[in-house]
Amino acid sequence: MYGKTACQLVKEFASGDKGQLVSFNSDLFQQVVAECSQHLLELQSLIRKMEEERLDIQTVRNADYYGALIHHLTLVRNKRCLMAYVYNRAEIIRNLLWKIGHVLPQEIEEKLSHAEGEYFKKHSAALKYYMSKVMVDLTVDMIPPKDPYIKVRVLDDIGDGILLSDDKTANFACHSMHLLKRTDAEQFISRGQMEELSG
Amino acid sequence: MASSSGAEEASLDDYASLIATTDVELLKRAWRNEKAAPEILRYEYRLISRVKEQIQLMEETVEEKSSVGNDPLSVSLYQMDLDRTQFLLRSYLRIRIQKIEKYMFHILKTEELWSRLSKDEKDFASACTSDLNQHLEVTVLSKLPENYQSVLKQSITSEEDDMVPEPQLDTFVLCRSKEYLTGIQLEDGPADDRSKLFEMEPGVLHFICYRSIKALVESGKIDLL
Amino acid sequence: MNTKYYDIDDIIMEEETVSVIFQKTASGVGIDPSSEKDFIETGSKVELPFWLAHELQMRQAVSVNIPSCFDKTTRLEIQADSAGVDLRSRCPFFYEFGCKIAPIVGDRTIGFLLLSAFKSRYKEILTKAHSVAFAAGSKFWSILTKEEINLYETAQSEMASFKKWRMGGPRFQIASVLGKKRKSTE
Repeated sequence: MYGKTACQLVKEFASGDKGQLVSFNSDLFQQVVAECSQHLLELQSLIRKMEEERLDIQTVRNADYYGALIHHLTLVRNKRCLMAYVYNRAEIIRNLLWKIGHVLPQEIEEKLSHAEGEYFKKHSAALKYYMSKVMVDLTVDMIPPKDPYIKVRVLDDIGDGILLSDDKTANFACHSMHLLKRTDAEQFISRGQMEELSG
Repeated sequence: MASSSGAEEASLDDYASLIATTDVELLKRAWRNEKAAPEILRYEYRLISRVKEQIQLMEETVEEKSSVGNDPLSVSLYQMDLDRTQFLLRSYLRIRIQKIEKYMFHILKTEELWSRLSKDEKDFASACTSDLNQHLEVTVLSKLPENYQSVLKQSITSEEDDMVPEPQLDTFVLCRSKEYLTGIQLEDGPADDRSKLFEMEPGVLHFICYRSIKALVESGKIDLL
Repeated sequence: MNTKYYDIDDIIMEEETVSVIFQKTASGVGIDPSSEKDFIETGSKVELPFWLAHELQMRQAVSVNIPSCFDKTTRLEIQADSAGVDLRSRCPFFYEFGCKIAPIVGDRTIGFLLLSAFKSRYKEILTKAHSVAFAAGSKFWSILTKEEINLYETAQSEMASFKKWRMGGPRFQIASVLGKKRKSTE
C-alpha cells in the first residue's frame, strides 16, 4: 500500500523508549525519498495525459484526475512521515543539551546522522550564546535546591585537576566520596560519572 | 482571621501584601504562570533585571561573609536563600527557552507572541529557527519534488501554513483569582452551555480551560498554579 | 493550522485501515490488490489507510464504511464488560480513531460509545495503576489502548514521584538517555 514504507519509518521511531535515540535509518529513509520521486513521475504522466486530451485540470474530474490526486496525497503523506521522523529526532537531540550538556558521549554520537551532528553543534552554540548574553547558566539547577551541598560517590575515573566553581580543584578518583556544591555535581551525575548518596 | 479586630486585620493584610510584592515573590508568581501556561507569556523585563541585581548583591554578601569566616551558619543561610532565587531565575528563563524551541516557527510568524520575547530571546529564536530550517532542508526538503519543499506548507496547493505546530490552548490549568471576577466566557463543554457566564471568587481554586482565562492571565488578574 | 502535523501517534493512528467504496474511477494507481490493472472502477470496495480515505471522502471520491472496531459486536461486548474488552487488538488508538471517524461516517452513536467505554475503563486503570505494578505483557496491560497506557504510565510515575518526595533520598540521577549501559560499582 502507498505510504507504507514511510509509516514504517515513523513506527520505528515510536518503538524506541521515550526520549531514546536509535541510529538514523538512512536505508529506509532513502527508500521513502525514492518512492516520492516515483509518485511524482506517475502524477506528472497522468497530468500530461489530461493536457494532451486538452482537458482543464482545474475543473475536469475524470479517472486520470483522481489517479493524480491519489499520487499527490501520497506524496504529502510521505513528506509528513519524513519530516516527523527528522523533526522529532531533532527535538530529542536538542533535549540532550539539557540532559547531558554540550559534549555528546561516543555512544550517542554514533546514532546521529552527519547532518544531525552538525545541527547539535549549531544549536549548542546558539544556546551558549544566549546564556552568555543573559549571564546565566541554564544547564544547571534542573531540580529545585534543598541543600547547597550534596554527598556524592565517583563512579568513573574522572581524574584530578577539575576546576570547581569556588576556584578549588579536586581529585575525583574512582570510588572516592566528596561533599560538593550541588551545581558542580549535577552534570557529573547526569552523565553517570557520579551518584548522589542519600542522607 | 474573621474574629480579629479591624485594625489588626488591616495590618495583617498590609503585611501579606508587602510579602506578596517582594521581587522574589513576584518572580515566583511569574515562574508559576510561565510553567503552567501552554503558550509563552510576556517577558518580565523589569522584574528580571531587578532580580539579577539582587542576586549579584547576595553573591557579594556571601563572598564577603565567607572570607571573614567567623559565622558559617549565617553564610550557609544566605547561600540557601541565594540558591533558591537563582533556581527560580534559571528555571524561569529555561522554561521560556524550551517553549521557544518547541514552537519557534509559530512564534516567529505570530506578531503578538514575537513581541513577548526579550531581545536576547529574539536572537535565540531566530538562530534556532534558521538552524532547524537548514537541518530539515538538507535532510528532507531538498530531496523532495519542487512543489513539496516548503517547511510551512505541505504542498503548494495548501492555502495556509498547515505544518506549523502550535501550543494547545484548550488544555486545562489550575488557577486562582486575586479579586472577584465575573463574566468569564467558558470555551469548552457542549456548545449550548457556552453562553453561560462564569464567575470567580478571590482565592478559590479552579480547574479550567486555559483559553477561557487567557486574557485574564495576561492582564495579571488570575494566577496559574 | 495543524497542531498535530509532527505528532508521531497521530501519524501512526492515521495509518489504520478503513474500507471504502469508490464513487469515482481512478487510473494509474496500484492500491487495489484485487484488481489486475491499475484502474479502479466505480463501486469497487478497497481497503485504504485512514489518511487517504479521509482526503478522498472530502472530495466525494469514496464513501467510508464504519470500521469493524465500532461495529455491533464490539458495542455489545463493551456494554457487557467494558473493562475486560481487548480494545488494543481492535484498534490501538480506539478513542482518537473513533473521534476522527465519527464525523466522516456520520454516526453520532460512536461518541456515546467512546464516552461510556472510557468512563468505566478509566476508573479501572487508575485503581490498578496505584495498587499493583503490572509487568508489561500481563493480561490487563495487553488489552489497553495506547491512550489508556499513557494514562496508566502517567498515574504510576506521579505516584512514584509522590512517594519519592515523601521518603526523601537522592534526587539527582543519571540522564535516562544514557540509562542502562553503566553498572553501578558494587
